[in-house]
This record gives sequence, structure tokens and C-alpha cells, in this order.
Amino acid sequence: MIKYLIQKEFLQIRRNAFLPRLIILFPIVIMCVMPWVMSMEVKNIRVSVVDHDRTTQSQRLVHQVEASRYFIFCGQEPSYQAALAQVEHGTSDVILEIKDGQYLIAANAVNGTKGGMGSAYLSQIVASAMEKQVDGKTALAGNGPQGAVLFLYNKHQNYKLYMIPALFAIIMMLMTGFLPTLNIVGEKEAGTIEQINVTPVSKWAFILAKLIPYWIIALFVITISLLLAWSVYGITCAGSLLWVYVLALLLALFFSSLGLIISNYSDTMQQAIFVMWFFVVCILLLSGLFTPTRSMPHWAYLTTYVNPMHYFIDAIRTVFVRGGGFAAIVHQLIALLAIGILMSGWAVQSYKKNS
Amino acid sequence: MANAIEVQGVSKMYGRVQALEDVSFSVGKGEVFGLIGPDGAGKTTLYRILCTLLLPDAGTATVDGFDTVRQMREIRRRVGYMPGRFSLYQDLTVEENLQFFATLFGTTVEAGYDSIRAIYSQIERFRDRKAGALSGGMKQKLALSCALVHSPSVLFLDEPTTGVDPVSRKEFWDMLGTLKERGITILASTPYLDEVRRCERVAFLDRGRLRGIGAPEVILEQFRDIFNPPGIERRGAGCVAAPQQSTRPENVIEVEHLVKAFGSFHAVDDISFSVKRGEIFGFLGANGAGKTTAMHMLTGLNQPTSGTGTVVGYDIRTQHEQIKKHIGYMSQKFSLYEDLTVAENIRLFGGIYGMKDDEIARKTDELLERLKFDDHKNDLVSSLPLGWKQKLAFSVSIFHEPGVVFLDEPTGGVDPATRRQFWELIYDAAARGITVFVTTHYMDEAEYCDRISIMVDGKISAIGTPDELKRRFHQPDMDHVFTYLARQATRSAD
Repeated sequence: MIKYLIQKEFLQIRRNAFLPRLIILFPIVIMCVMPWVMSMEVKNIRVSVVDHDRTTQSQRLVHQVEASRYFIFCGQEPSYQAALAQVEHGTSDVILEIKDGQYLIAANAVNGTKGGMGSAYLSQIVASAMEKQVDGKTALAGNGPQGAVLFLYNKHQNYKLYMIPALFAIIMMLMTGFLPTLNIVGEKEAGTIEQINVTPVSKWAFILAKLIPYWIIALFVITISLLLAWSVYGITCAGSLLWVYVLALLLALFFSSLGLIISNYSDTMQQAIFVMWFFVVCILLLSGLFTPTRSMPHWAYLTTYVNPMHYFIDAIRTVFVRGGGFAAIVHQLIALLAIGILMSGWAVQSYKKNS
Repeated sequence: MANAIEVQGVSKMYGRVQALEDVSFSVGKGEVFGLIGPDGAGKTTLYRILCTLLLPDAGTATVDGFDTVRQMREIRRRVGYMPGRFSLYQDLTVEENLQFFATLFGTTVEAGYDSIRAIYSQIERFRDRKAGALSGGMKQKLALSCALVHSPSVLFLDEPTTGVDPVSRKEFWDMLGTLKERGITILASTPYLDEVRRCERVAFLDRGRLRGIGAPEVILEQFRDIFNPPGIERRGAGCVAAPQQSTRPENVIEVEHLVKAFGSFHAVDDISFSVKRGEIFGFLGANGAGKTTAMHMLTGLNQPTSGTGTVVGYDIRTQHEQIKKHIGYMSQKFSLYEDLTVAENIRLFGGIYGMKDDEIARKTDELLERLKFDDHKNDLVSSLPLGWKQKLAFSVSIFHEPGVVFLDEPTGGVDPATRRQFWELIYDAAARGITVFVTTHYMDEAEYCDRISIMVDGKISAIGTPDELKRRFHQPDMDHVFTYLARQATRSAD
């Protein structure tokens, strides 16, 4: 029986003027555009320099800033006020003031990331310049305490490597969450669901027939994305692909269930899509996809314990970037499975053929 | 005096389909003019041209002396248009709907109150109710009020009474009569013959051409084969249950004291009846009398609040999934998938009822041959005319040979000739031993049933054969019986 229902879904997707194109376009846009724009790296920071000293050291420092690929040198200003006026004008991001061998770095922090990263880069340059200066004067002074930073697993802090697994999460969310939800509410609006409800189709058959096609499509899209990541960026999965697919399916279970629950309680497309977006935005922002969860306030951090996206992002980055195996993600797998089963139970329970 | 509507040689093509071909007629001021014809005749296209929503390919049309192409603005200020599907906002209240339409036309409800008083006063006590919660008849009155609030001089009504019960329809046409007295020109289309007779003149459109124009009686007589097809002779009528009763004496549907309450409102209020195997049972009632609710309980979509019932031997309270295996259902809303082809729809529903691939393929060919529909096997359902869709939906609902089939207003908005063909299919099904449980607002169809019940205010107020009922209430036909009983309704028909 379910065979006929699944066939029907595929026929309807194929007949749709828009969906098949979207399914092809989707991975291409996601993989060819998003990794470039989702980078957290900050480049092209505009710097204004106010050099009161005009010494050799200060000149050398200015040259270093000019030479850095992170900065655009906006020229020297006669006074701090003049430089500040440039910032207020929006033509400069950071001011470097040098006076009596002391340095002041003032960054426009309206865009927090840009300001923070910009001043951090600048202080690095300044620090290294100072070090050389010290070296030059007293060659024998020996080494002070030196720190070392080692970026594990992602040596060059390649944001593409970091972001691509997160994009899988977005693909699963849209393909297995939104599409079946809107499909079911669409049947409600057209009235055909009433016809299905008076047939002997079991709840499970009906629901699975709605989900399986989209799960297959989502896995297809992920496969294309993996191929694109390899051919366009030369990025491949460090761990086993099996875990990538297992994790994707577990996330699909959650989002499909969420979508079904929402569709069971919604009568209109408008209501369904709005409620779905509400949950999706909360889940995404609280997941650690964009910001680290540990730096959230404690009460917000607590919500990540029930946020499947959080577990997914953690686990898929472990597998994809670090190459972790089952042992490394067993905790996340169990959590995802538990949340998925709970939600799917609710989804089937809330769908009523007889009220 | 100029005519209110003047149509000269209007043609319209949709791609390669000729929707209207050289149509010319005129309607005098203050006339009630009917536009009749089968589905797909081009009636709606004509309305849309007159309302300036469509441009004609050729020909000219004027409304109230203004050209529909060059003087759209003037026309839109002077006409009221009520499209076939309800034009109301379902989640606004009665009053909010009315205010909204008044604002659209730059007037207020107070300013336009005189022109709608007669109609609006009947629904004014429900002013705070959402339009979606009104019954069909009430929605009609509200939609008419909304179309009249800016005092138009011409009113376009595109099948305004589809899906509305006979009593409400009569009231609706009485209201149109009062509008005529105020000099408003009315152009109305309808599939109901009694409504056709209430027009002063009618134009008969068929496949885009104007076939005739004149007094209703003349046109109906001239095209009698289309509008007044000969009654259907029922093969083996009268002996339906008798020969089978000896072998299978059971009732297919048995209901005792069934109640469905929504809060304190009893939609279905203690009904009891039974339907025998092979019988065609007509389940009549005004809009909002509780028919659909009762049918939902019998088909296992809803749980009764109290009372008991069995359908094909299964309990409606506990064995609803068993019932669903043995019944067919065709709902008021169209129930096939529009984006699947004819064959794919049949295959889907065959598969759902557990039929095997080869069986489905064989029976599909048989069915399409019987319907003379082989050529359209791979056509999308959305491309079929309404009458065909309904026939197909019915055939699909009995494709798995159910014990009983439930039909909820299967012929709403369908022309007389197609309805007659539809009833031939019903008779075929009944002859094969399938019990038919049908609701309808067409009283001529009620006469085709073996037995009928009439629901008023959630209760069954009469049950019996059409002849018995006519005798019992001393009425000449079913229409009068229905009107007589439905007028006794006390709850606000909704």
C-alpha cells in the first residue's frame, strides 16, 4: 500500500513546476556560494595612523601595517580628532596612535567582529614590532616567556572546512522539515486529506509515505554537496562518511517530526510556515552553529541539552573535520536518537484519522 | 432608454481553446437576465469580461453605457460582482466583511445601509460571527450584501446558489426580486431549473456560442434534451432489497440515538435510522442541519458524543478503521489529486485499498472504457471539466467494490445533463449491490432515491419513500415537502 503512496508523492514532486529545479539548484548555491560568505575571517580592515613620534621604529611599524594583507592603509592623520572624524565618516575602522613610544589602538566596535578581530590583529603586529625593537637594542636579553598557539585539526583555520558540515544541517532542515510540512497542510487546504482519512491507510503508512521521498531527496542533495566540496574546494570528510549519513538521518527524523507536529495543529499554510520558522530560528541560533554555546548565558546554555541541532553540529564537525569515529560521537548519537524518537512518537500520536 | 448591458460579437480564446465565439446580446435596464449552459460553456469568461477583469479578443461590450475596455473605472464603480466561489474573508466577522467591501468602494456601511437593509437585516444578529462559521445560505446573503453596499446599478451573479439548500435558494431569489423593484439590473447564472424560470429572459451558452435567447419556458422547451432530460428508468427498481433479503437480511447502516455535540450545540441531536443493502438512501437537510457531521461519524472521521451505530457490521465507535476498508467516500470538496493523471489517481486509490497491480490495470481499462474515457487516461485531472471530474471521483470511490458508498453533495454546481449521467452511474452501482448514501440539494435527485430522510435542526423529521412523504405531508413534489419541513426549523439554520 505504501508503495502507491510514495509513488504518488514522487509524481507530484515531478509535476511541480518548481520543486525539481530547486532540488538541483539548492546544493549548488549552498556549496558554491555559502562557504565564501559564511567565513568569520575579517579582512580589509581600514586603518588610520596618527604618528606623533616620527621615529624609525614608528615608521617601521607603519610600514608593517601597510604591508599586512588584513589591512587597508588609509593614510596618516595629523591628530587623533582628525582620525576619529574619519571613523565617524565611515571611511576608517581602526585608529593606531603612536605617542612617546606608547601605542593606542581604537577600534569601531559597532560591528563587533570586525572591531574585535581588527584590534586583535593590530596588537599582534604592534607586539611583534616592539619585540624586534627590544631585540635590536639588547640582543642578549634572552627570551621572555613566549606563548604558542596550535590550531588542532584545522591547521590554517579554514572556515570552509568548518562551515561545510554546518551547511548539511541547513539542507536537512529545509528538505526534511519544511517540504513535508507544507505538503501536508497543502493537502488539508485542498481537501484531499479528508479523502485519505476515510480510506484504510494506516497513520504510519501515510506519514512514512510523506517523509521517505523527502529523506531520499535530502540524502541525494547531501551527496551532491559532498562531491562539490571535494571538486570545488578539495575538502573531503576526515572521518567515515557512514557517520555523516547516520547523523543526517537522525537530524531528518527530528525535523520531519517537528514539521508533522506543526502541520497536525495548523489549518493554513501561513500558520504552519510561521510557526515552523519560529522554532527553526530558535533552534539555529541556540545551536552553536554561529556562536559558541559555552559563551551563552547559563540559562540559554541549558537549552542546548534539548537542542538536536547542537548535538548534530558538534558531532558532524567531529566526524568531518577531526575524523572522529563512533566512540567520539556516541553521546551525540544517543541524544539525537532519543529526541527523534520522542518527537516522532508525538507526531504520529497527534495525527488523527478519527476525532 | 439605453440598455444596461450591450454585448457585440465578443470572442475570447485561451491558448487554443475557444471560450467565447461571437456572442451578442443585450439586457434592458432593470431586467433579471439568466445566463445558462453546461460547465465550460463560457459563462464565467463572459462575466469576467463584463466586469473588466478580462479583455475580449474581438467585439465590444458596454455596461451601463460604458465600454468595458476603455472605461473600466466607471464600470467598476457601478457594478457588483459575486463570483461562484465565496468571495468573503472567512476569518473576518460579518460586520468586518461588510465594512471592508464598503471601504473598497469608498463608501460606508451607514451610507449604503438603505440599499442592503432588506438583506442585511436577516443576518445582522450574527454581525460578530466569523463569515467562515456561517451556513451556506447565510454566506450567500452576506456576499450579496457586500456586492450591494455601494448601490451598484448592475449586479453580476455567477452561480450564486451552488451548494445552498432549496429553502435558502428561494429566499435568495425573493431578495433578487426586491432588487429589481429598485431598478437594479441582474445578470445571473444558475444550474437550477426553478431559478432559470424566475428570470425574465435567459441566454443559453454552449461551448462558447450563444445558442438561443428568450423567455425561460421557450428556451427550456427548445433545448429540452439538455435541460430536462427524460427521467431515468431504474433497471430492476422496486425489487432492490427483496430478493437479497432472504439470504442477507442485514441492514448495511444501523444508527441508534446518535448525538454529536460541540460544546452545548448539538449538531446531530439523537437520530436513529437504518439503510438496507442495495438501497439508494437520500440524506436531505438544509445547510447546517447536521448532515455532514452525521456523515463524518458514519465514515469514521468523527466520534459520536453518544449513541451507537454500525456500518457494514462494524461499530462506528470502536471499529472505524475496519469500516474504512469497506466503504467508499466522495466529498463535497473535490477529492481527486489535480496534479495526477486519471490513471494515476485510479492506481493510487486502488493501491490504498490493497488491490494488486494487474487487477488495478485491468479494472482501470474496464472502467475507462465503460465511461468512454479511454482517450483521457493520461490527462491531468486538473484539465478536465467539472462534470467529468465528479463522475471520475465517483467511479474511483467505488473502484474497490465497497459495501456502501457515501456521497456528500456529489453534483453541486453540475448542469442537468451531466447530473443525469451521474445518476446513471449511481443506479449502476446500486444494481451491483452497492448501497448508496447520498446528500443533495437538488430535489429532482431526491425523487430518484429509494428512501429519503429529511434532517431539520439536527433531528430527522421525516423518513420514508418519496411517495410516502408526499402523501403524508400532502405536497405535490419533494421540493414542496422539503420546503414545508425545513421552514419549521427553529434554530437559526446555522
